[in-house]
Amino acid sequence: MPQTLFEKVWNSHKVTEIDGRTLIYIDRHLVHEVTSPQAFDGLRINKRRVRRPDLTFATMDHNVPTNNRSLPIIDQISAIQIKTLETNCKEFGIELFDLHSPYQGIVHVIGPELGITLPGTTIVCGDSHTSTHGAFGAFALGIGTSDVEHVLATQCLVMDKPKTFEIRVDGKRKHRHAITAKDIILSIIKKIGTAGGTGTVIEYRGEAISDLSMDERMTVCNMSIEAGARAGLIAPDNKTFDYLKGRKYAPKNYDDLVNSWKADLVTDNGAKFDKTFAISASDIVPQVSWGTNPAMTSDVTDAVPYPDEYAKGNKSQEDAAKKALEYMDLKPGTQITDIKIDRVFIGSCTNARLQDLVEAADVIHGRKASPNVRVMVVPGSQQVKKQAEEMGLDKIFQDANFEWRESGCSMCLGMNPDILSRGERCASTSNRNFEGRQGSGGRTHLVSPVMAAAAAIAGHFVDVREWF
Amino acid sequence: MGKVIKYERDNIDTDVILPGTYLKLHDYDEIAKHAMEGIDPNFHARVKKGDFIVAGKNFGCGSSREHAPIALSHCGIKAVLALSFARIFYRNAVDGAFLLPIEIDEAAYKKISENDELEINTDKNEIKNLTKNETYPMKPFSDIISKIIAAGGLFKYKPD
Repeated sequence: MPQTLFEKVWNSHKVTEIDGRTLIYIDRHLVHEVTSPQAFDGLRINKRRVRRPDLTFATMDHNVPTNNRSLPIIDQISAIQIKTLETNCKEFGIELFDLHSPYQGIVHVIGPELGITLPGTTIVCGDSHTSTHGAFGAFALGIGTSDVEHVLATQCLVMDKPKTFEIRVDGKRKHRHAITAKDIILSIIKKIGTAGGTGTVIEYRGEAISDLSMDERMTVCNMSIEAGARAGLIAPDNKTFDYLKGRKYAPKNYDDLVNSWKADLVTDNGAKFDKTFAISASDIVPQVSWGTNPAMTSDVTDAVPYPDEYAKGNKSQEDAAKKALEYMDLKPGTQITDIKIDRVFIGSCTNARLQDLVEAADVIHGRKASPNVRVMVVPGSQQVKKQAEEMGLDKIFQDANFEWRESGCSMCLGMNPDILSRGERCASTSNRNFEGRQGSGGRTHLVSPVMAAAAAIAGHFVDVREWF
Repeated sequence: MGKVIKYERDNIDTDVILPGTYLKLHDYDEIAKHAMEGIDPNFHARVKKGDFIVAGKNFGCGSSREHAPIALSHCGIKAVLALSFARIFYRNAVDGAFLLPIEIDEAAYKKISENDELEINTDKNEIKNLTKNETYPMKPFSDIISKIIAAGGLFKYKPD
C-alpha cells in the first residue's frame, strides 16, 4: 500500500505496541538548560543513567545574555540554571556546546548545522520548536520535561500515531526576496488557524516548497507548532543532502545513506493523507501579525481588521480579536504600514540563520535605523555569527546602527536580559506574538527578516516589495 | 469539590500560564506564585486547593514548558476543563501527574460560571455542578491515559 513519508519514518521506528499506543525509538535527543534540570533530578532520584549519551547533545540558549561573552552573567538565577546544565552533562556523559564553544547556539540552529539532524530520523527536544528539524525529512517534535526524562532513561517515547496532513504550496512566489518562507508559513497559519494542525504531522509539498533553500524550509517547519501540529516535515532532496554533507557529525558512510534516503524518504504516488490544504504561492504577499496569536495576521497591504469582520459571526473569535487589539493598542482600520514601531528583533530559531541575516542586510543599502528605533540582530549560533562576520554583515548592520550580538534565543521569549519594556512595540522575526511573550506588556508583530529590517529603517511597517 | 475560575477565551498559551521570565525558577512552589500572571495577576492570591480552571479551545498552546501545568497544580488546581487542549500541555499534565486535562462540550462550557462548585467523577465521566444542580458529560480519557492517571504518572505506570 502506498505510504506517506511520515508513515515510513514512523513505521521504521516502531519498537512495540503498549496498551494501544506505540513505543517509538528516538534517534537524537537535544537538551537545553530550561526544560532539563528536573529531568536530570528524576534520573538521580531513581538511580537511572542516560541510556544513549552518544545520541544526546546539549547547549544553553534560552536564558543566556547576548552581550559580551567574557562578562559574568549578572542574573544569578540564570547563572545557576546554566551551571546546572554543565554539571548534569558532565555527570551523565553528554556532549555540551557551552557558552564558550564555537558551536553554541539556538538548539534548532545548531542541530542541522552540525549534521546532528539527519533525514528519516526521529528527533526530540524539550522545546516546541523542535519541529524545525522536519525540514530535513525527520520526524521531530517538542516534548515536556517528564518526556525528556523518559527519553534520557529509555531512548524511547510512547505515542499515539498522528494523522497526516498535506499542505501544498503550489506555483512560484511573485518576488523571491520580498516574499519569504516566513510569509508562506504565516499565510498558512492565518488560513488554518492555531489549532488547524492539531493531532497531525504536516508534510509541506508543492513547487514553492521545493524551491525553498534549507534555511527557508526550516523557517516553514519551525512554525508548524503554531498551527498546533505535532510536527511538520518536507521530503529531503539534493538540497538537503548537499547541505548536510561534510558537517561535523554527519555519518562516515554518508554517500551510502544518501542513496537509501533517496529511495526511501518520499511519499509514494497514490498515498492518502488524512487531511489536505492548498495555497497558491503567487497569492502570498508580505505578512504582518496584528494580534496576540500567529493566526491574527494580515497582508501588509491591509488595514488592522474590525473584530466583527475578522470573526465572521464567531462570537469567541470576535471577543478574542477585541482583547487582542486592546492589548496591542491598535485601532481597527489603521493601515498596517501606518503602525510605528519602537524596537526590532532579528533573530530566533525561526529566522536567525545565515540566509535570514544576508537578506536583512541586503535591505539596508547604506541607510540607518530610524532614530527612534532600537534594533537587535542576534545570530542563531556562533557558526552563523562567524560566517556572517566573514561576509562583513556585522559591519553593514553596525553602520546602520543595528546592534550585532552573541547567539541565543534572545528577545524571542523574554527570559534573558533582552526584553521589551511595557508598551513597547516590536517588529520581530520570532514565532510567537502571545501577550507578554517578549516581556510583560510588550507588543509583538511577527514579520520576515526583510520586513523587519525595512521597518527598522522606516520606523514603521513598509511593503518591502517596493524596496527591491 | 472545588470552585471554578473561568476564562472565556480560546488559545490560552503557556506564556500567559507561566511567563518566560519564571522559567529560570527550579522550586515548584516559587513557580506556582506566578501562575496565570500573564492575564490574571491576582490568580495566585484567589486560587484555593482543589479549584478548577474552565476555558475555551486549544488550552495550553505554545511552548512545551512543563512549568505551565506545574505552576497550576502547585497552587491547587486539580483539573482544567476546556473545549480542547494543545498536545504538549495535555501530555505534560498527564505524564507528570500534575492535573487532569478534561475535555468538555460547548453546552457545559456555557453553563459553568465563575465560582460554581464542581465535583468530578472520572469513573462515570460526569461533572456535577453543585451550585446549579446540573450534571454534564466529560469526554472519557483513552484507555492508556486512564491507566497513566490511575498509576500517578508516566514513571509509575507499568504496562499490562
